[in-house]
Amino acid sequence: MTKLTKILALVLALVLALSLAACGAGGGNEPAPAPDDGSAPEQAAENTGTPLAEGEDIVVGGIFNVTGFQSPIDAPAQQAFALAIKQINENGGINGHMLKYVTYDGQTDQTVCANNATQLINTDGAIVIGGLSDSDYAYAAGAVAQAAGIPIVFSGATTPDIPEVNGNCSFMTAFGDNVCAEAAASYAYEELGARTAYVMIDNAMSYTTNLAQYFIDKFEELGGEIVLTDYSTTGDLDYSAQVQRYLANGEADIMFMSTGPDDASTVIQQFRQAGATAPMMSGDGWDSDLWGVAGDLANQDVYVATHYATSDDSPIVQNFIADYTEEYGYPPENAFAALGYDCMMVIAKAIEMCGDDITPANIRDNLEHIQGLECVTGTISYTPDNHVPAKTVVITQAVDGALSFLKNQA
Amino acid sequence: MSPLKFKDVPVLRFIAFIVIPLVILILAAGAPKSYITSLIVTIGMYSLLCASLNLVNGFSGMFSMGHAAFMCIGAYMTSFFTVAPNVLAAHCPGLPNFMIHTSLPYPIALILGGLAAAVVSLVIAFPVVRTKGHYLSVATLALIVIVGAVVDNEEQFTYGSRGLTGIPAQSTVWPVWIVLIVCLFIMYRLVHSAYGRGLKAMRDDPTAAQTLGINLVSKKLSIFAFSAFFAGVGGGLYAHYLTTISSAAFSFTRSFAIVEISIIGGMGSLSGSFLGAIFYTIVPSLLQNLENGMVLFGTRLPQLFGLANIIMAAFIIILIIFRRQGLMGNSEIILDTYFRKSTYTALFKKGEWAKIPRYFADIPVRISAWSASRKKLRMEKKAP
Repeated sequence: MTKLTKILALVLALVLALSLAACGAGGGNEPAPAPDDGSAPEQAAENTGTPLAEGEDIVVGGIFNVTGFQSPIDAPAQQAFALAIKQINENGGINGHMLKYVTYDGQTDQTVCANNATQLINTDGAIVIGGLSDSDYAYAAGAVAQAAGIPIVFSGATTPDIPEVNGNCSFMTAFGDNVCAEAAASYAYEELGARTAYVMIDNAMSYTTNLAQYFIDKFEELGGEIVLTDYSTTGDLDYSAQVQRYLANGEADIMFMSTGPDDASTVIQQFRQAGATAPMMSGDGWDSDLWGVAGDLANQDVYVATHYATSDDSPIVQNFIADYTEEYGYPPENAFAALGYDCMMVIAKAIEMCGDDITPANIRDNLEHIQGLECVTGTISYTPDNHVPAKTVVITQAVDGALSFLKNQA
Repeated sequence: MSPLKFKDVPVLRFIAFIVIPLVILILAAGAPKSYITSLIVTIGMYSLLCASLNLVNGFSGMFSMGHAAFMCIGAYMTSFFTVAPNVLAAHCPGLPNFMIHTSLPYPIALILGGLAAAVVSLVIAFPVVRTKGHYLSVATLALIVIVGAVVDNEEQFTYGSRGLTGIPAQSTVWPVWIVLIVCLFIMYRLVHSAYGRGLKAMRDDPTAAQTLGINLVSKKLSIFAFSAFFAGVGGGLYAHYLTTISSAAFSFTRSFAIVEISIIGGMGSLSGSFLGAIFYTIVPSLLQNLENGMVLFGTRLPQLFGLANIIMAAFIIILIIFRRQGLMGNSEIILDTYFRKSTYTALFKKGEWAKIPRYFADIPVRISAWSASRKKLRMEKKAP
């Protein structure tokens, strides 16, 4: 017993000594006082570095979750990102420098993503990083990049507060969920003439929860009425309870279904089979296989607000689809491929704007001043206060097994 | 005279397990943040998590898979006391006022995180430890689902699935490794006390242990809580390494990773957690270059993402077939070196230093003795 007391005393003494040491060292380690709005983006350590010598390669880092459950959206993005780099190099690089592409698999794991970012920056000497399609991983890698002062452009992540949380080195290629949902609400109200809406929310995902909330806010602001809000969970196979509640309440003018990509087809099938005829609408998560179990039912009045439509006949979109098909032997799997391509285009533009003075800090500054860059998924502009591009949202309709372009909704 | 064994040369052990790692740590801590330092920090965190899992899985004979849940609780609780008050007030308004406005030194916050995990583990341990074997594993897996669901849905406390951000990056080399060594010391004393011997007795034969007067229920509950405490501390370290956490960081895969490390290192050994964590962290990072299409003999190999996972999985299968007890087995050679007085007193004895040349001179003898014993083993197997 006395032995145990001795050990306990020793441990306590150690703990006290440690905490004292921590207090003493606290001055340097204290987090920077955060601004009053509640977010805490630490200001970047200005990474001015040394400008590249003539002819030296520009190291571009890529972090994509090409294994794990994020792989269906990150793998196409990675391929398109690599394609863009290949094309740039074939055209002679940027400002006389060739691009060297180094990429690591994030394995759908925050620790790995954070370590990958460290490795890209410190071992491989990347001066700019692209990739990642989900906020969880974007936060982890973005914090590392922020601390090192290396600009990072996220290809597919849509949570609008990512730059606010990470700090001024983070940029997004995609529009925020708020823009997507507001465009959907405007289209439903103005073009489809909807005045009442039914909303179903998958509350297990931050994406679907945010998307639905933004839709409800905008729809009500326009003067519409939400007649019923219902909930589901990712991976539900049976929606009969939601269908019954919806039908018992009386049909609405529009159904906004905020669920993830994997559940889309099931939702369509069960609602349509039970006799719900109102138009259905959702965000970019539904830019996926809607026809799986629903078959022809998916072609009945289903609208998706997304990043781009493959049927858009503007040359930039058609060229991208042709190049991707030629490189990999099949057309782009989903919109995240186009976003991966655009992510690299944005980075290339910022490097080009640096002229001869290519440093991380300059790339970051120039990213903030990109204006009106024509990309596959729309026109991208950033300002020092806004690192989320205000892009137009493409409203599409499911027709004959593909999403067909309807309108660019601002 | 029989040849000298490595464990009989304390000075050599001192050099191998204390001097060399210490030099690496000092170099790493002095260097600016780099990939190597982040690997060293990751190794430290995983060692602690694995050692705490071994308390339950290796020393008490239960098989828990719920470590990620305790990590999650520890991570959130620690962060509540270190994140700036204005961030907490904006994102987690449901927290009690004292939690929002108190900023504690990192070590104290870590202890609170560990305590929170221990308390939760006690609550759930009452129903869970009644189950045995597979049922216990499944029940602890369910715990991950429960904790994940609570974190996702109790928005006013956790900011939901958007996660907690703005956690100060305090998990650098020294804090992590000092916490690790302190925790390992406590665990080492724990398993080498009468209490720990009781645990092993319970693991090897519960009925016999009970007849000797060991209270199985209190043993199971307490070791579950101890393990959860250290997992909570590990979770706190992890949160302050990533600086942003959400329930996705504490999913099944995190638990499986810790179990994997524990299997590689050896479940019945606290020292094994070092080996397991080093292996689990270093090997995939070496294989990354292979995945990336490295240039070998002038030809560029194709990109093969996922190759590292496949190789690790194959290695574990081979390990389970040929060395089920893990790399370290039941040996505690590393921690014995750290925490036994004899290591340090040996440094001042002349005879002990003289053993070093003898040890190296004995190497051929040892090899021939080893191959002879293998041959004997084979002969015995062949004999009817």
